[in-house]
Amino acid sequence: MTIECEKITTPYSNNLNRPILNNISCKIEQGEFVSLLGLNGAGKSTLLRSIVGLVPLEKGVIKVNGIAQNQKQKHRPDIAMLFQGGGLIRQLSAIENVLCGRLGSLSAWQTLWGFPKRDRRLALELLDRLGLKEHAYQKTAYLSGGQQQRVAIARALIQNPRILLADEPITGLDILAAKQVMETLAELHAQQGMTIVVVLHDLALAAAYAQRAIVLEAGRIIYDGKCHNLPEILQAG
Amino acid sequence: MMANAITYQKFCKLVKTEVKAMTKTFKTLTFKHPLLFKLVKQLLIVLAVIAVYAWALQGLQVDLKLLKDSWPYIVDFITRLWPPDLSILDIAIVRLIETIQMSIWGTTIGAILSLPLAVVSARNLAPRWLQFCANFLQNVVRSIPSIVLGLLFVAATGLGAPAGTLALGIYTIGYLAKFYQEAIESVDPRSIESLQVCGASWLQIAQYGILPQVLPLGLGYTLYMFEYNIRAASVLGVVGAGGIGFELVNYIKGFEYNKATTMMLVLLVVVTAIDALSSKLRQRLEASYRFTHKNK
Ligand SMILES: Nc1ncnc2c1ncn2[C@@H]1O[C@H](COP(=O)(O)OP(=O)(O)OP(=O)(O)O)[C@@H](O)[C@H]1O
Ligand SMILES: [Mg+2]
Repeated sequence: MTIECEKITTPYSNNLNRPILNNISCKIEQGEFVSLLGLNGAGKSTLLRSIVGLVPLEKGVIKVNGIAQNQKQKHRPDIAMLFQGGGLIRQLSAIENVLCGRLGSLSAWQTLWGFPKRDRRLALELLDRLGLKEHAYQKTAYLSGGQQQRVAIARALIQNPRILLADEPITGLDILAAKQVMETLAELHAQQGMTIVVVLHDLALAAAYAQRAIVLEAGRIIYDGKCHNLPEILQAG
Repeated sequence: MMANAITYQKFCKLVKTEVKAMTKTFKTLTFKHPLLFKLVKQLLIVLAVIAVYAWALQGLQVDLKLLKDSWPYIVDFITRLWPPDLSILDIAIVRLIETIQMSIWGTTIGAILSLPLAVVSARNLAPRWLQFCANFLQNVVRSIPSIVLGLLFVAATGLGAPAGTLALGIYTIGYLAKFYQEAIESVDPRSIESLQVCGASWLQIAQYGILPQVLPLGLGYTLYMFEYNIRAASVLGVVGAGGIGFELVNYIKGFEYNKATTMMLVLLVVVTAIDALSSKLRQRLEASYRFTHKNK
């Protein structure tokens, strides 16, 4: 399962006096662990969002497994996304948020009176694996930032994806929680061969976990390659 | 014709260059004196506001002399209201209970009908054409005065509380649909996007993404509407659609002002009590709402 971005350009933004993404081409193979780097406003989130169809494109195409995607179609079954800030529904309990990941595989009738037992068990298992068993029935708003991030990860995992796009999954977490989340991602990568694309702001972490780095600046890719000596590359760029 | 066109084009060009030059001088002026620009802008705004009020006042055609002469009549009317005649207290209470019952059912009917209308009016849910139609329908409902609705249903179901209840139900739609719509439009767009990416259908997004987020706010609005409908119901009584207003108007028409006073006092007590109760409830709902939204 590969993701190919071919010369993608978003519509012109009047605030920026340029398109947010400007002629981006890259290819991510199945099983890669890629870190996406760049300053605030570089377009990292926009790139990930365009891969799941949340951003209309002016030019270019995104291919998943060689098949060109229609940007109107927002559901790509093998791709799960962790949103910057989680994108959870804060009024629902942790387990309900996780179950929302199953909505794509169930019809509206099947979920009208709640989720099937099998799915509930699966969600509970996932939360247990992420160390959140005792918080499963708590309202998400009452969980800490790190716990919420893990709920979001569980919601992504219940979709059984082959590609995980994570937008700043560790921003705002303490060192321990950040390490936990990164370890979880590394585990998924190692054990299931899941493709991981993660937006980070920490070069050391990027070097420690990812094999490849893509650096964005003002909507363009300025570096795409190995992760070591990243600081020097960024200095030069 | 041709010559005309050319002169017209020339004219346009002339205007364009002129406007460009003007904006340029204006820009340099304001750039050099930003404070002056701000002052002029504020002055213009104040003048505009004064102009609007003056325009509105001349439309009212206030006659100061008439106002002065009518003063004794107003005083007379008010003094004759006092003291309240407590002998009709039992009738007042019966009517009042009827008013509350009308408001309970009217608000509920209105709320149930408002929900789907709000969903199809919301900017972040419905397609553009549906939004337009639904908003137009809302405006139509909102522009029918409650009295007219009362008359309409009195004609349909006869005098009494059922007519008033239905009228309140329709009247409620005009407001609650808009309130609900705004609550729906203020939900966190990222949480909705995340459900779209999970592949949730339209109905599932409404049920699992939007409903939990709007429920506290929506309940608060509904409670407020219930309170408001108790007052609205007393107006509906005037056209015979049940409730306390019917008696009230009859007493005033029959110059039994003291009895009317009793009616109004009873209404005051109930409205105050319900206001206190519902504002407590609303506070709690809003507190939970604010907590769940604080870390956005
Ligand atoms: N919906 C939008 N409409 C208009 N402009 C937008 C929109 N979303 C993002 N932008 C603009 O696009 C640029 C890139 O935004 P993006 O969120 O992709 O940056 P980012 O690299 O993820 O930054 P950060 O590190 O702060 O998350 C920003 O300048 C932003 O102002
Ligand atoms: Mg971002």
